[in-house]
Amino acid sequence: MNKIREFINYGDLRKFRFWLQLFFFIIFIYGGYMAIDLGRNLPIFSCGYARETGGNCYFLGVQHQLARPWSRLFSYASIGVLTGFLTFLLWFVVFNKAWCGYACPLGTIQDWITSFRKFLKIPYSTYTRPQYQFLKKIKYVFLFIVIIFPLMLGLGLLDGEWRGAFCKMCPGRLITPLFVGDYSQWTLDFSTGTALFLTAFGMGFTVVFFVGSFIKKRFFCFFCPMSAMHYIFSDWALLRLKKDGDKCTKCGDCYNVCDMQIKDIADDVKSKNILRDDCIFCMKCVAACPEEDALHVDIFNIKVFTSTKGGFAKRMNINNKQETKK
Amino acid sequence: MGFAQAKGDNKMKRNIETPKDKQNRHKAMEAVAMLDKIRHDFIQPPKNMDYFYDLYEKVYCKRESLHAKSVKVGTMCIQVPYEIIYALDAVPIRLCNGFYTDDEIGSDLAPSKACPLVKATVGQFSSNNFSDKPDFVISPTTCDQKSKSGAIIEDMGYLVYDMEFPRTKESEESREYWRRSVRKFTKELSKNLGKKLKKSKLKKTIQRIGYAQYLYHQLNDLRKEPNPPILGKDIFLVTNAFFFDKIDNWIEATQKLYEECKIRVKNEDKTHKNSPRIVYTGSPPIFPNLKIPLLIEQSDGIIVADETCSANRLFNDMVSIDEWFLYDMVDAVADRYLKGCTCPIFTKNNDRIRRVIDLVKEYKAEGVVYQAFAGCQVYEMEQRSVIEAMEKEGIPILYLESDYSPSHLGQLTTRIEAFIESLKNRRRRR
Repeated sequence: MNKIREFINYGDLRKFRFWLQLFFFIIFIYGGYMAIDLGRNLPIFSCGYARETGGNCYFLGVQHQLARPWSRLFSYASIGVLTGFLTFLLWFVVFNKAWCGYACPLGTIQDWITSFRKFLKIPYSTYTRPQYQFLKKIKYVFLFIVIIFPLMLGLGLLDGEWRGAFCKMCPGRLITPLFVGDYSQWTLDFSTGTALFLTAFGMGFTVVFFVGSFIKKRFFCFFCPMSAMHYIFSDWALLRLKKDGDKCTKCGDCYNVCDMQIKDIADDVKSKNILRDDCIFCMKCVAACPEEDALHVDIFNIKVFTSTKGGFAKRMNINNKQETKK
Repeated sequence: MGFAQAKGDNKMKRNIETPKDKQNRHKAMEAVAMLDKIRHDFIQPPKNMDYFYDLYEKVYCKRESLHAKSVKVGTMCIQVPYEIIYALDAVPIRLCNGFYTDDEIGSDLAPSKACPLVKATVGQFSSNNFSDKPDFVISPTTCDQKSKSGAIIEDMGYLVYDMEFPRTKESEESREYWRRSVRKFTKELSKNLGKKLKKSKLKKTIQRIGYAQYLYHQLNDLRKEPNPPILGKDIFLVTNAFFFDKIDNWIEATQKLYEECKIRVKNEDKTHKNSPRIVYTGSPPIFPNLKIPLLIEQSDGIIVADETCSANRLFNDMVSIDEWFLYDMVDAVADRYLKGCTCPIFTKNNDRIRRVIDLVKEYKAEGVVYQAFAGCQVYEMEQRSVIEAMEKEGIPILYLESDYSPSHLGQLTTRIEAFIESLKNRRRRR
């Protein structure tokens, strides 16, 4: 048992994550070829507009479900809506936000773009605090569009062109089908003004997605309504990101490696549950923490991955082998 | 010898001692007195401590130079990034000074109520008497006295670079400010040395210093044992040596020391099993001013951990890098010296209190000794809040004010002995 624990805590998270992300990418983008179908209620941006997905983003379904007339929405006919939601919740509860850091194809693509930038040796950029505080709110605006717009549609406050509005705006709809050779989403809908606006927004957002994630790590995730949705239910999740504030020296190593610039991870020494709405649960912070057990990932209060001095040293390749000749 | 010579030449020839010789003689006497106590007053120090005892004798008694061929960058405080200096093929030498002789010289140049460490440092510069004279001096603007002493030293004709350091550490602005300051320092130093900072070199030094830190942590872990294999006075010597020693030699010696201590733990070598365990905090004991740690351990206490900038803080926080490029490495190095620092110069300092409490718990200590140098305002001012916090936690604490002079020993001894006695009583009552 101790050996297994040591193996995990001393492991190379980077490699583990790379392979797991690749695995999930294949499952979700090419799953259709292998007859894999994990349903339509997944808590990740595995877009239903792509033909061969191994399971679809929950938002596509839920926008259509909620858009039905209110008389029907609040009747027994909506049991499907409820079960859909419960399935979504069940999926989510298992891995918490680790869906973002490990499984989401759109997230993985951003990490690959980051690798490409690293290959070109170009520095990444970061937001200043005020920018950050402002930008992080945008994902709630998108969540509003995902949940409330369909309801307004059902009430008749919006017209039919707003059906699935977020999907039309989402870069996932344009990007993920590319991987199965489908370019058909790259079109502007000139039928009405609203449709034009939405599809143009989507296309613009996609361009911004590529440029943004090239210069900023996990650029899109700041704006992701799924991330906001996750956070609402994250208290029920099994997988938890926890912090022992007494052991924290606030050295900021975790904050420094955090793709999402979450300052609390270093500076908050009071919260036990350190998961924040922007978090993508990539666990890089745990791997970068040099204090024993200061940060850890728990399932049912059992530490499955925890920060250790030895693990830190190993990952940082700190050893006595290389002599700096003086 | 002088006498024999005089007889041979048949005329009276007296060697008149220059002020420099006198200073060196006094300093050697101070050093040797302290070394002798550390070396011989205790049973069985680890054998591998001999390297450090000899090193101090070489440098401070015989005044041998260790870095004759290298470019030396003098650092006036802990905040100057070692990683960057080493990566530019220079050697950092920390100039925080512990000699009473230099303190007295410095008293003429600084206010009489100034901190003895600052006075001693200024004093050494004014006497221009170094075994390894720094080519540049880097003076981070940490506390008032250090900031101002940088200017005093510059007036003496040394090349001093003021490295701007923020006095708050929570805000993102101060982090960015410090990062810029470190980037600027890197550029300036590299320009002055005529060397370009190379990615591979910086990576190597980060890992090298990381290894030194890791070794220190491992050695420290052994002090958590019920029977610590090494005493605090020895640890202070080890960490102090990092100020000026060749890093490779230091790592080698510490590695050996660690291996030996591991065996000592296993063999249950007797040291001080029943001595009260103390956490030491406050103004930094710097050789040869190790009198408080020494007094504690002579009075049958044992220092199991410390929170000072001459030991623990020097090694505590390690650098972690996300992308191994200069842009990320320099910034990450900068973070190390600001974010985790528990120096009392910062506005708020709950971190320091948290650290001390955590050390008490982790190292199962029974009391805290808090020393402030008379004249070190920030440590003196923070005293009250630390004592309050300790009282809340039920941790006994002794607050001492001392300076470099050898005159208050009696009073200090009485207080420390009484404190340790009370800790023993407390233990009996439990």
